[in-house]
Amino acid sequence: MAPVSWLFQPVPVARIAILRVVAYLFVPVDVLLTTPWVARHGSVPGELYQPLLIGRLLHPPTPGGWVPWLEVVLVAAALAAATGRLPRALGLLVAGLYLEWMVIAFSYGKVDHDRFAFLVLLAVLPTVGKRSEEAAGWAISMITLAVVATYFLSALAKLRFGGLGWVDGATLTRAVVRRGTWLSSPLLHRTVVLHAFQYVLISVELFVSPLLLLRNRLTPLLVSGFYLFHLMTFLTISIVFLPHCVALLALLPLERMPVRRLPARAAVPA
Amino acid sequence: MLTAGRRTRLATTAAVFAVLLTGTFVGQDDAFPFGPFRMYATRDAPNGVVVSTRVEAVDSTGHVLTVPDTATGMRRAEIEGEVGRFRRDPSLLGALSRAHSRLHPSQPPYVQVRVVERRFALRDSRPTGAATEQVVATWHR
Repeated sequence: MAPVSWLFQPVPVARIAILRVVAYLFVPVDVLLTTPWVARHGSVPGELYQPLLIGRLLHPPTPGGWVPWLEVVLVAAALAAATGRLPRALGLLVAGLYLEWMVIAFSYGKVDHDRFAFLVLLAVLPTVGKRSEEAAGWAISMITLAVVATYFLSALAKLRFGGLGWVDGATLTRAVVRRGTWLSSPLLHRTVVLHAFQYVLISVELFVSPLLLLRNRLTPLLVSGFYLFHLMTFLTISIVFLPHCVALLALLPLERMPVRRLPARAAVPA
Repeated sequence: MLTAGRRTRLATTAAVFAVLLTGTFVGQDDAFPFGPFRMYATRDAPNGVVVSTRVEAVDSTGHVLTVPDTATGMRRAEIEGEVGRFRRDPSLLGALSRAHSRLHPSQPPYVQVRVVERRFALRDSRPTGAATEQVVATWHR
């Protein structure tokens, strides 16, 4: 029963409350600031819309003039959900609307892989009630599994599509030629660094990311290491896995973070 | 003894990750969110070429422009994802012109749109400095 007890290992509900605020406030940031290109798909004529399987199954209308309305409703629902009111109903609403937002995002010839853990996060948040530490534990376990899967399975995808020779290919050279920055472009003259980094990358994905499942004292350090990794990715090939980074927060003991309390109590005369 | 809540959650966990594993091994991007995480998963040959695609347009005043993602709402990787369709049917590029007119009604409209592929040659995983360019699809109003 070890996997079952791992899956339901209790977590303080306070962590879920904090995650709700962060995740639901991140939705407007994502929609309006960091990935504004999704909304622009509403102006792209329908003949370039190539719906994903999920879009073909659910038959949402082809993106068009209604996309700005969805944007407003999604942002409003997320802001309402961030208040912590009606966590189940508003949480479900945000998860559903955000999924449709993703169909709009990724039905034009390119799918990104920074969203899986965040989608799982949005899906599990509404399952946690006010008191159940076991339900909170399951939610955190699901997010943890999704985070680890994103790293681990991307290594398996490299082996599937690139083969064992992936590590000795020129994939990172290609990435830097196409998306290089001031930090990484000089490495095109030192390609041994890029070559070595391919070994580091696949090793971290295969062997280090599963350590996140252990959930021990070293977890915060490990999570910090992954944040550093995402920062490096941003500085070298200008790709940032922001939604994934928000999901990664769930692995930290957020409920124990020192938060300055509002001086509401102190204001009451003794 | 498993409670009903635990049973439902266990079954959900098993289903989600079974579908994700299946997607990783046999699926394609189309299976999002359960497709393989295949960003940078393909191997580029150390002595091959790196292709970088851009969209160029000629507007109604005769200016030749490099079209940024924000002008048409289509990102570079999306243009590359649909480039096969543009090659087969260049009239589809007219959609980019219409998207530009919707997003930027005050700017002169595009009367010509073309997809240009720039190919950088690699030797031992290093760019040789040699590059060629080819227009792979053109649309005229």
